Amino acid sequence: MIDRLTAALQGSRADFTEIRVEQSWSSAVTMRGRRLEAATASEDQGGFVRALNRGSGWGTASFTSLDQLEAMVARADELSRAVRLERPIRLADVPPQQADRVPDLDGDVRGVSLAEKKRLIEAYNGEMLAVSDRIVDTLATYRDEVSEYWYANSEGALLHEVRPEVTLSGTAIARRDGTIEKGLESIGLRRGWHSVQGKAAGFRAVAERAVRLLDAPTVRGGTYPVVLDPELAGVFIHEAFGHLSEADFVYENPQAREMMTLGRRFGKPVLNVGDNGAASGLRGTLPFDDEGTPTQDTALIREGILVGRLHSRETAAAMSERPTGNARAISFRHPPIVRMTNTYIGNGRGTFADLIRDIKLGVYACGAFGGQTMLENFSFTAAYGHMIRDGQVTELVKDVVLAGNLFQTLDRIDHIAGDFRWNQMGGGCGKGGQYPLPVTEGAPHVRIEAALIGGDVPA
Amino acid sequence: MIEGLLELARRRANGGADALERRVERTALAFEAGRLKAAGVTEEAGANLRVLHRGRVGIAGTTNVGVGDVGAQHAVPLLERALASAELGEEIALAFPSTAKLPRVDTYVARAADAPLDRLIQIGQFLLQRLAREGCQVNVAIEREVGETRVANTAGAEGTYRSTGVAVSADIWRIAGDDVLAIGEVVEGSDLPSDDALEAVVQSITTRLDHALRIVTPPEGALPVVFTPAGLSAVLLPVTQGLSGKAVLQGISPLANRVGERVFDAGVSLTDDPLAPGRTASRPLDDECVPSRVTCLVQGGGVQRFIYDLETAARAKTESTGHGQRGIFGKPVPAYTNLIVGEARVPGPGSRVPGELGGGLLREVNDGLLVDDLIGVGQGNVIGGAFSHPVALAYRIERGEISGRVKDAAVAGNVYELLKRIGGLGNDARWIGARFAPSLLLEGVAVARR
Repeated sequence: MIDRLTAALQGSRADFTEIRVEQSWSSAVTMRGRRLEAATASEDQGGFVRALNRGSGWGTASFTSLDQLEAMVARADELSRAVRLERPIRLADVPPQQADRVPDLDGDVRGVSLAEKKRLIEAYNGEMLAVSDRIVDTLATYRDEVSEYWYANSEGALLHEVRPEVTLSGTAIARRDGTIEKGLESIGLRRGWHSVQGKAAGFRAVAERAVRLLDAPTVRGGTYPVVLDPELAGVFIHEAFGHLSEADFVYENPQAREMMTLGRRFGKPVLNVGDNGAASGLRGTLPFDDEGTPTQDTALIREGILVGRLHSRETAAAMSERPTGNARAISFRHPPIVRMTNTYIGNGRGTFADLIRDIKLGVYACGAFGGQTMLENFSFTAAYGHMIRDGQVTELVKDVVLAGNLFQTLDRIDHIAGDFRWNQMGGGCGKGGQYPLPVTEGAPHVRIEAALIGGDVPA
Repeated sequence: MIEGLLELARRRANGGADALERRVERTALAFEAGRLKAAGVTEEAGANLRVLHRGRVGIAGTTNVGVGDVGAQHAVPLLERALASAELGEEIALAFPSTAKLPRVDTYVARAADAPLDRLIQIGQFLLQRLAREGCQVNVAIEREVGETRVANTAGAEGTYRSTGVAVSADIWRIAGDDVLAIGEVVEGSDLPSDDALEAVVQSITTRLDHALRIVTPPEGALPVVFTPAGLSAVLLPVTQGLSGKAVLQGISPLANRVGERVFDAGVSLTDDPLAPGRTASRPLDDECVPSRVTCLVQGGGVQRFIYDLETAARAKTESTGHGQRGIFGKPVPAYTNLIVGEARVPGPGSRVPGELGGGLLREVNDGLLVDDLIGVGQGNVIGGAFSHPVALAYRIERGEISGRVKDAAVAGNVYELLKRIGGLGNDARWIGARFAPSLLLEGVAVARR
């Protein structure tokens, strides 16, 4: 393959050309209720060529037929030349890398039969169903993928990687009369078959929570001191802040650049935020991004001050900053765009008990059903919550929706505990039509002095 | 094409098989911050095979199909994987449909398929020029897709159709201090957008932008709220989820066992129309060889039908409604085509020039909101009907007129309660993607501010 890529690059007339080729094997087994929903094994393959010429824009070509490689290189060059630009696109320098990275596959999933995968997820699904006869529906999914990946560009970069991935997810629906509640958990790892064994307890917990939520009251809407558990705090920092630190949001927009000026205060001195694509063993971890730039730990907020942002080679050149290894594509069907990897809130001090000690009435928001940010406004649905009364965690509450303005909310983070953890969740991040991109989030428990909790809206 | 694959499958799978092959060529242009930045093409081909063997269903997909054909060297491994999948599958009394006459639907427009790159660039330049404003950033994306779908089964049913789709989207960003405003519009169809349709995009964006420049305090309480055709998603989503035969089978649809019952206001009607001319979701048959036909879901507030694909229909002991949708890798699932809200007449292919914002419903409102976009639609426990969302783009209505944009407000309610009595439908029905809907006035929506 390397020879074919090198030959295709030599045949290119463009000033800069890069090629990605992927070949992937994946399988998925889904149980719904007591039934098998589907068990499938798939094969996917294809390539992506990107070309750039002086005075021109990007030309790209994506294809599933690898026989077309040379023709697609020519097509990308042609398209680039059709895009005439006055201000040229420049790429920040990255020393071309040559590497061959095959990680420990930890039990190569390609050697495990579909029947064994079914037995595993059937057992986990059974754990959820056995919890209570209130569990009326479940969804349990096992999914794996091994991708063989090649990257080469006309500057001399030549990379070969094997990228494994395995995810488990469980959803349990509990129902009593008209009340329907759900529990949801997932695990996503860049590992193999061995890493998804022994996970029964997690699936049981999902179903137990769904049943308990049937009796939980809806949280009363209002403004409270709110403590986020590490999972929700991680989702929060990714959604509400992380996307604004992606340089493609600001690099062409003077007003956005002003809003995101380095040195601006975003929070109290307790707040540290970063993105680390080189952290070991996480889902968002890769040796290189999809432009062949080595990944790294990038500080975004240090002691409350904005100190960095995430870049591709193009955005870094446009802003005279350094590439950070954050140009990623979900597959050969898409161009690389600026994305997060493993995004985190840095560790603080003290324990969870310290965070809630002086809260008279507050909300402990846990887990995430989902979150969306629109510009400076966000909305997150916690999986469940507890009221905090007189410094103690008390009754379970449901429909905990956290909504607010990013700038205000970041500034109201006043206490961060020292119990940092990475959340190894499945799912992924979506942007520009590219979903799901494997990412990880991490955080300790985080306290927000005052935040709006939606829920029961007083009439 | 897939005949060879099905011929192989016929010999190995005793219950038969069906298959779908799709080839797509896509051309995309990205205009960023007022200039064309990138042009790209995508050429994709793939096949999805389903076998029924010893009463069990198996599925497999591949993009490794070679050029022009699913060659034998690719077909055999695909069939093996489908049979392996069937070994694990559960027994389903699935019946592949036999030959049937297909309706005529216009899905392919030659001038859209053949439009040169320069013609597409011209469309983008026109929008950039018309939308340019001091202090604002304009982005435009144009995507043209030319596809060919072939679907066939061992019972003799088959269909092939070509399709075109052109989507033009524009958005304008205005950042002033920490106030970020983004307003977008999309026009989509099987043909290139007409000059009128492009003009409508410009008008739609500029009208909403002009009204948004003034920020006012949001109202509070149980209030009348007008949802625009774009803002309607949060209200429709629980209903469309509840009308899916799959949700009914799972026992989680609040509409199960309510066919024939009047659940909503008499003004509420919903129709799924796969035959709407000029729409990209239209097709002569679904992805399981079932001929397309119009399905009336809700008529005069009464629940009429749920949508089914072959598998959910077999489980529910009913007929497929022709809503099987499948990709290259997964199994078919029931999915809507074109959803028509309001009167079940087939609208024309083009997007009409938008009338006034709110479609004439503002006059009825003394103090309330006009909601054009919400944050977090689809999160949480959607199917129960309860929603609670901060607004992304909404305006205050005072004495029948828009007084300005509101920020930091949220709307909440239960769709099943709110739709029991609607305040009215607007005269501004138009296409938003695969949905044709007017504005909708709902009374007593909880509006909160922070």
